[in-house]
Amino acid sequence: MAEPSKKEENKVVDEGIDVGISRLTEEKIQSVINSVIDSETGARLKAYVETCIHCGLCSEACHYYLSHDNDPHYSPVGKVKQTIWEMVRKKGRVSPEFIRRAAIIAHTECNLCKRCAQYCPFGIDIAYLISVVRRIIHKLGVTPLYLQDTAHSHSVTMNQMWVKGDEWPDTLQWQEEEAQAEIPNLRIPLEKEGADVMYSVIAPEPKFQAQLIYQAAVIMHVAGVNWTMPASVGWDNSDMAMFSGDNELMGRLKRTHFETAARLKVKKIVMGECGHAFRSVYDMGNRWLGWSMPPFTIVHAIEFYHDLIKEGRIKIAKKYKPPITLHDPCNVVRGGGLHEKARYVAHAICEKVIEMHPNREHNYCCCAGGGVINTGPPFKMTRIKGNRVKAEQLFGAKTKGAEVLVAPCHNCHSGLHDIVHHYEIGLDIKFFGDIIYEVMEKPE
Amino acid sequence: MKTVTLIALSLSIAIVLAFTAAWSQDDMTVVDNAAFNNPQRTPSVFVHDEHNETAGIDDCAECHHVYEGGKRVEDESSEGQSCSECHDLQGSGNQPSLIKAFHANCKGCHQEQGKGPIMCGECHIK
Amino acid sequence: MHSFYNFVSGPLAWVAFILFFGGSIYRIVSMLKLVAEKERFIFSYMSWRYSLRSIIHWIIPFATVNWRRQPVLTVVTFAFHLCLLATPIFLLSHVVLWDEAFSISWWTLPDAVADIMTIIVILGAVYFLVRRVTQPEVKFVTSVSDFVILAIVAAPFITGFLAYHQWLSYPLVMCLHVLAGDIMLAAIPFTRLSHMLFSPFTRAYMGSEFGKVRHARDW
Ligand code: HEM
Ligand code: HEM
Ligand code: SF4
Ligand code: SF4
Repeated sequence: MAEPSKKEENKVVDEGIDVGISRLTEEKIQSVINSVIDSETGARLKAYVETCIHCGLCSEACHYYLSHDNDPHYSPVGKVKQTIWEMVRKKGRVSPEFIRRAAIIAHTECNLCKRCAQYCPFGIDIAYLISVVRRIIHKLGVTPLYLQDTAHSHSVTMNQMWVKGDEWPDTLQWQEEEAQAEIPNLRIPLEKEGADVMYSVIAPEPKFQAQLIYQAAVIMHVAGVNWTMPASVGWDNSDMAMFSGDNELMGRLKRTHFETAARLKVKKIVMGECGHAFRSVYDMGNRWLGWSMPPFTIVHAIEFYHDLIKEGRIKIAKKYKPPITLHDPCNVVRGGGLHEKARYVAHAICEKVIEMHPNREHNYCCCAGGGVINTGPPFKMTRIKGNRVKAEQLFGAKTKGAEVLVAPCHNCHSGLHDIVHHYEIGLDIKFFGDIIYEVMEKPE
Repeated sequence: MKTVTLIALSLSIAIVLAFTAAWSQDDMTVVDNAAFNNPQRTPSVFVHDEHNETAGIDDCAECHHVYEGGKRVEDESSEGQSCSECHDLQGSGNQPSLIKAFHANCKGCHQEQGKGPIMCGECHIK
Repeated sequence: MHSFYNFVSGPLAWVAFILFFGGSIYRIVSMLKLVAEKERFIFSYMSWRYSLRSIIHWIIPFATVNWRRQPVLTVVTFAFHLCLLATPIFLLSHVVLWDEAFSISWWTLPDAVADIMTIIVILGAVYFLVRRVTQPEVKFVTSVSDFVILAIVAAPFITGFLAYHQWLSYPLVMCLHVLAGDIMLAAIPFTRLSHMLFSPFTRAYMGSEFGKVRHARDW
């Protein structure tokens, strides 16, 4: 490639990538690239590559590009130029070093947030093209180590965090007991066949944030929802395989999830405040399994809270005082259209909501999504430096008086935490669930 | 000496021009485009006698044709008439519009003969 | 010049039009066949309503966020494309030729207006060229082919303009014009100018995904 990338200077070391690269030969690279392109892609790749008029109009859509002072290496079209275009043009004859760059670009410099699809006049889906690159990277065995580790965990345990078989019900029981101290007759119903709702979460909840399950249980209890949680595998709705290009594993995960809901004979799946899991269950995993839309009604927490509040099933005792600003997670807003419902919830539970700009489906990504945060510590600064615009955007809201940042998505939460911390913005970050739990009417 | 040459030259030109005018039916240099309202192009350059001489056309009916019932009438010619008397601006049925008639008549023949202007600007000179 | 002009505006023009129409149909049909073979699911996500919703937003100047962010480009690109399509179709001299050849004719632009539209296309091409060499994000993704297609598009307009004004050697310019026109027509289906053919499809698909699945605006 002609132009060396500017950031080769601070070459990060990732064992997954580097060890993977050391095992590659040019023949292997070529055969893998061509097999993916020939047998797994079709008209989309062809039309997107051949239709792109090289106009660069997608550039300003991307937070990486904006955050790097308009460095064209980070523009959406710039990233496909450095990856899939070359692979297609050279019919797979690219070097291991090229693959190394491609792995870093595809895995750490694009969140698959699809904001650029809203800016390209042709609606070219750059995120899809980057996913094809990730698929190739996966098949070459060059996936970043931390991300691959979560995929391994999925494969072995059917959850993302190596949560062991007994750890899961233990955690639920523990949270149930905690909550019973507050509401004595509260239950977390396990394996309740025929319940209306199966509540599913991502594995980091039982692993590190068990209080979220507690809060959800309180909300369910107060609202009188007929709900259940599975006691065995299938409870985790997260999916890093979707981002590591391991589609087969994604299929296994989602099949397990849906089959668990089917086994429990529930009417719908309600999921916690997570964006990527929503994408996996609602958009990606179902497709891999052959369902154009998911086989169950999928209700994201935002929509669930919206309905509960609207129907009066939970009541707000006293609105949340500190002014909040609302982050629209890509996967549920650009990916699920929940922005107005999120605002309904925000206004219902908070006294003051200060909009950040841009917002709704034009919001900037948190830079953690698309599996990027799961590439772990080696790429933490890539994420933070790659999203200076987010810091500026948050700072704008802060200047208007916002004190708390509501981010109804786990990835966003963690990513924004790093940004708020690094750029010293000074915003508290909360889930809707945190606030609802705090302000709702609870039995005495 | 110089003045003599000049006078002689202009005199001979004047004489030639005078004779030419006397021989021809008129001294046309362009095709009359009065029938067009708001013409988009300059009138076509057409020096009648010179053209016919170079082209070796003796029969007026070669261009000034008469059609009846879609068939060309032999031995009849229409040189007294203006083209627009038959060819209106729209054209109807087999009757070509005025533009098309002009183009067919001139350019058509040029194409057949392989000689003469065939591109817009060769006749509609700016 | 007779025989060269007759060649480029006769047999070669036939070839160009056949390549243009035939090639366009071939490209679209083979792309749809590829969808049917390998990505059949796309059909099940397509929706007329959301396709049109998206296309309509994108073909109206300033109706999308990005058009509003790029006001100069938006004005230029809309003027450029509009004139690019309308001028050759409604050009008097072209219609006269259609009429002579096939006895078909339609409304035409006054020559003076067409001339201005031609200038707009040429200036538009200059703008794109300047943008391509000065804007880093455009330059970065530029390859030789981008200049070639820009030249292919500009050539019929530049030569047509010169011919209309009868500047330089008229017959030669005229012949070059027709040749340039033939080249452009033939190039559309087989170069990135095929965005004319595929952009409605890519836009429609993205519009459908955003409308039907994502419940969000894609403009
Ligand atoms: C078979 C192909 C073509 C033929 C035979 C043809 C013929 C002509 C003719 C006879 C003229 C008039 C020149 C004059 O007034 O002296 C002209 C002008 C022009 N043509 Fe074409 N043309 C062809 C293809 C194209 C194409 C493909 C385009 C553009 C996409 C195009 C754009 C123009 C323009 C812009 C002008 C000049 C308008 C002006 O400045 O007034 N032509 N063409
Ligand atoms: C009718 C459907 C068409 C649509 C929707 C369309 C749309 C677009 C868009 C969105 C761009 C990129 C934005 C920009 O740079 O202006 C573009 C660029 C361009 N289009 Fe089209 N176009 C169409 C037809 C055509 C045709 C028929 C041609 C020529 C044969 C053409 C030639 C160009 C050129 C030369 C560029 C500029 C590329 C550059 O930046 O160098 N387009 N078009
Ligand atoms: S991060 Fe988002 S805007 Fe940037 S290239 Fe990836 S999908 Fe497009
Ligand atoms: S905006 Fe679309 S057509 Fe233009 S460079 Fe980006 S992807 Fe290509």
